[in-house]
Amino acid sequence: MDKRKLLLAEDDQMLASLLKYRLERDGYEVVIEFDGKSVKENLEVAIPDIVISDIMMPYFSGIELVDYVRNQLNSDVPIILISAASNDENIVSAFEMGANDFIAKPVSPSELMVRVSREIKRHYCT
Amino acid sequence: MDTRELLTQLEKLEYGLDSFSFTELKSSEASRLKKSFESFKIGLEEKVFGMPTGTVESENAAEDYDQVATESKLVANVSHEIRTPLNGIIGFLDLLKETPLSPHQNELVNAMDGASKNLLGLINQLLEFSSLASGQEKFERVPFNPGNLINEVAFLCKTLINGKSVTLLVNYDERIPKSLLGDPSKLSQVLLNLIGNAVKFVEEGEIKLEVNLKEEKSKRLFLEFIISDTGVGIANENLKHIFKSYKQAEPSTKLKYGGSGLGLSIVKEIIEKQQGCIAVSSTLGIGTTFKVVLPFEKVASVPEPSVLKDLEEDFDISQKAILVFEDDALTQRLMQNRLEQWGCKPYIAENEVYGLQLLKNHNIDLVLLDMHLPGSNGLEIVKRIRKHKEYANLPIIMLSGDAYSHKEDIFHDLGINDFILKPYNSDELREKIYANSQHVDRDDGHTASKNEHSAARTKPIDLDPLLQECLGKTELLDELVRLFEQNILEFIGKTKMYLQSGNLQGVGFAAHKIKSCLKMLHANRLIGICEAMILECRTTNDVEHLKGLFEDFVSEYPKIEKAMEEEIRRIKNEL
Repeated sequence: MDKRKLLLAEDDQMLASLLKYRLERDGYEVVIEFDGKSVKENLEVAIPDIVISDIMMPYFSGIELVDYVRNQLNSDVPIILISAASNDENIVSAFEMGANDFIAKPVSPSELMVRVSREIKRHYCT
Repeated sequence: MDTRELLTQLEKLEYGLDSFSFTELKSSEASRLKKSFESFKIGLEEKVFGMPTGTVESENAAEDYDQVATESKLVANVSHEIRTPLNGIIGFLDLLKETPLSPHQNELVNAMDGASKNLLGLINQLLEFSSLASGQEKFERVPFNPGNLINEVAFLCKTLINGKSVTLLVNYDERIPKSLLGDPSKLSQVLLNLIGNAVKFVEEGEIKLEVNLKEEKSKRLFLEFIISDTGVGIANENLKHIFKSYKQAEPSTKLKYGGSGLGLSIVKEIIEKQQGCIAVSSTLGIGTTFKVVLPFEKVASVPEPSVLKDLEEDFDISQKAILVFEDDALTQRLMQNRLEQWGCKPYIAENEVYGLQLLKNHNIDLVLLDMHLPGSNGLEIVKRIRKHKEYANLPIIMLSGDAYSHKEDIFHDLGINDFILKPYNSDELREKIYANSQHVDRDDGHTASKNEHSAARTKPIDLDPLLQECLGKTELLDELVRLFEQNILEFIGKTKMYLQSGNLQGVGFAAHKIKSCLKMLHANRLIGICEAMILECRTTNDVEHLKGLFEDFVSEYPKIEKAMEEEIRRIKNEL
């Protein structure tokens, strides 16, 4: 089977590097984008198998991203958001928009791995 | 100088004003703002050029500028007059910000605000120059720690270097006393200017700051500062001009490197006003060296707690019960966090009555007291505490923002044991608590175990959890730590900028971002400061307090960097 394609939208390079390492090790093909504009451009070209995005992103927030994917691109690709735990309201509206899951900062990569594989299973293996 | 730069700022302002939709706004502030702006512009044109801006051409203008420059009084007057309407503009912009604005309008107003503040900065620089030239400048004569000052300057300069492959080396003469009398802010201004220049002109290579004890006389002492770089260098014929006001070495330099060209002339003035001297030597393509000699006064020998400074564990204050009088919720939290980190038992009192009750019911080792508590004066509380015989020897440390309130004789009379000047850093607080709580030490039985305990608690970072997430791959950990260092430098640079322009939203956002990085490294002290900054941005918006917190952050960070290097070395050795 081909590798699962994963788009990671995270402007903190430190966290992005760590996650990329872990995700690639688990067999994903990872593309990192550091700002919302490039995320959008990337999605316009091709929709990956799963999207992970920080809520607080320059130019284009994670919430706007969910809205854009669901309502403009009409895609149901699984989206996992990374959020600072304190933004409760944001998380609720993200779920209302159609986000599949979220993980609070500081991100535990091990936890994220589990959440990613769960979303992949749910979406593609049932 | 830079009337051209002034004009650019002006144009920016004007542009912002033009694209701002006043018809949509229909507010009286808006039209007043515009009027104020227009009269400011006309006034500026008349006063500085005596003719409409369009006709100013570089050659004639240069002569005109020089004339203006020599008449520093005129500059001072003009600057003052420019400042008044400009302050008006800034004030009205603030008012405008409080009215309902669309996001686009908000953006424009913020841009205008930024440009106005830039302009104000330039004008203040002009004023500073002219007041120096006319001899009005006053120099401070306060005790300071030159070693700390150099560390701080070096650290700030490192943040300037960000992105270039330039290393800053510091060579500090250890014979220099820990405390000197002089003007520390002017000294750091001089050094920041000179090193800042070096950073601008070195693309790749090295900048060296050497600090030597040059000469010691009975009461005075001369320090020599040598700043050398491996930059582009300055041609001989230009060298003699570089300290002249409004001139940079080459007209073309300005295009590439910017700057008002006032820096070096201000530096020279500051140095010479303090009976110091500055010299420069340079070779094209090899580099430039500035040599500064400045006199300072020696401080009559103080009992030196700073000798113990290197031995962190010696400042064991764990298990101390400390009563803190503090009414500001944020400072309360910060204080509580800090004290708990050191293993102390903090008791926080918002007011006098509650505090005295705590004092009665608990075995308090030491009291920290803010001088300016609203409602009751700090000194009143001290008096009230000292009335009770059983508290006659209780150590009391006063915190105050007023530099002149800590004349030793006064505070001893008032019954205060020691004094901490705000903003203070956590080390200072810890040392003072340690120094003042020694004679009331009750039991020594458990000191050894207490020491271990506090060492674990105050460990500035913990890389083990992150190493686990890296699945034991040390190269990745190494890379993450480098990225973290870049993030911190970026955070410091951005926050400095935001604080200067008063963009608290920006500060909050930056602090928020850096917090999650800090959490990955378990840098607990910095997380505490960061959280306090975020809270401050959300609640009281007290810029001064925010600046204090930021300073804490900046002075705390080098320790984290050192700890990271040590941790990485340890981890690599273990493998």
